Amino acid sequence: MLGGGPGIAADRHPPETLMRSSLLRSFALIALSPAALLAQEEASSTRPFMRPDTGLMVWTLIIFVILLFVLSRYAFGPLTRAVQARERSLQEAIDAANADRAAAAALLAEHQAAIEAARTDAQKLIAEGRAVAEKMRADLLEHTRKEQQDMLERARRDIEAEKDKAIAQLRKEAVDLALAGASKVIEQNLDSAKNRQLVESYLASIGSLKVTQ
Amino acid sequence: MKVSRHVSSLLLASLLAAPSLFAQGAPAEPSAVAQPTASAAIPAPAQTQQAVDHAVGQEAKKVDIILPHISDSDEMDLPWPNAQGFRVVHLPHWAPIMIGGYALDMSPTKHVVMMIIAGLLCCVILISAAGAQGRHTAQGKAPKGFSGTIEAMVLYIRNEVILPAVGPHGERFVPYLLTVFFFILFANLLGLVPYGSTATGNISVTAMLAIIAFFVIEIAGMRALGKNYISTVFYWPHDMPLYGKLLMTTIMTPVEILGKFTKPFALCIRLFANMTAGHVMVLALISIVFTFGSVLIGIAPVAMAVGIMLLELFVAFLQAYVFTLLVSSFIGQIRTVEGH
Repeated sequence: MLGGGPGIAADRHPPETLMRSSLLRSFALIALSPAALLAQEEASSTRPFMRPDTGLMVWTLIIFVILLFVLSRYAFGPLTRAVQARERSLQEAIDAANADRAAAAALLAEHQAAIEAARTDAQKLIAEGRAVAEKMRADLLEHTRKEQQDMLERARRDIEAEKDKAIAQLRKEAVDLALAGASKVIEQNLDSAKNRQLVESYLASIGSLKVTQ
Repeated sequence: MKVSRHVSSLLLASLLAAPSLFAQGAPAEPSAVAQPTASAAIPAPAQTQQAVDHAVGQEAKKVDIILPHISDSDEMDLPWPNAQGFRVVHLPHWAPIMIGGYALDMSPTKHVVMMIIAGLLCCVILISAAGAQGRHTAQGKAPKGFSGTIEAMVLYIRNEVILPAVGPHGERFVPYLLTVFFFILFANLLGLVPYGSTATGNISVTAMLAIIAFFVIEIAGMRALGKNYISTVFYWPHDMPLYGKLLMTTIMTPVEILGKFTKPFALCIRLFANMTAGHVMVLALISIVFTFGSVLIGIAPVAMAVGIMLLELFVAFLQAYVFTLLVSSFIGQIRTVEGH
């Protein structure tokens, strides 16, 4: 019988508690399945509780040593190796990522430097262009001014020349007029060869004067 | 599957039993009412107690459900599809091996079988986990699943318990200590499954584990200290006058030698007592049900027994952890003794 309870109850109330006791037995089985030993209590195959058992100790030693050998060889070794391999690959991945990042940073810096250089070049070109334009404008201005100056100069020279020519003309006209006048006067007063000679020598001096001029 | 069927039959049983229990209780009620309440309060429980004592005494002579359960045995129960749900298997009895004048009985017992099962479970689970992890790693995948759990346990014990406690160059002790941990853990857990029994609740088993630990500790000390190992046996203070040295050596040497044996002894007793105590508690609580012979009264002890079982589950892990941690720290201690 399992335990006291169901047995006693069954003795007291055999018909009505039969089912209950069987149910109780099933309950006892789950709670105490190894305690089903009770059924064989009389056989007394149980060993003394606290007495050291050398056979069991030797068994423990054998089982433990075999387990130690098998586990360290086939379980812990491979497991540790797998973990180390993974740690190594993780470390490699991290290192590679770091290297990649450094390379990317270097590349970025390079590109930034290139962009910066390009920008500086552009600035320089613009500045140069502006300077050239400025110079061209100045040159043009200078050239124009010079031309204007030249033109002015030429005009002035022309005017001077015209003026000289006009003066010479005027002087000749005056001489002719004076001569004409004088001849009229002299024609009336003197009609001698001496006079004529005098006048002619004078005229000759004027003529030479005119040639020298 | 089987357990759930049993649980449902337990529920059914409590439902069916409740009315009949009330019916039983009914005739007792008028007699209590008939007496004056003040005087009835004391004799009635006394009577009940007497009856219980009587019943317990009777039953105690007939059956002892606790000791057979926690003791070793030459037979074991196997689950069997018959009315009882089990079958008793008698383990073979071998002729004792004679060593000198001593008869060594190597007949397998229940606990031997349990240890072998625990060892096989260790092998199957750990080796398959190691294989799975190796495959995962070879494929460049992260650890996953049950093998990941096992690996996390192994790594935790190795990196957080063993290596810090043992100290530098502790790698050599890792396989032994991990084996100790998993073997004790599986042996502990086997005591919690139906039809199982706790090999680590046997003083012989824990004694052997402690003896192995003793030798590992002492040999580790000898290898680490060389001839300075003698200083862990004979206490010899260098900064004292001669008479002081002699005095201290006389007093301390027995203490040192005793200390070498108390540590494994404590390991042995701690594991044995922890594993035994929980089972005794559960069995005692279950016994209450049969002592009273009532399902209604049985509800509370069963609830408590479930609680104790959960505690046992925790203790199974804890004691494996504690054993490993202590052996690790003993190895660490003896290796860092100040040798001169």
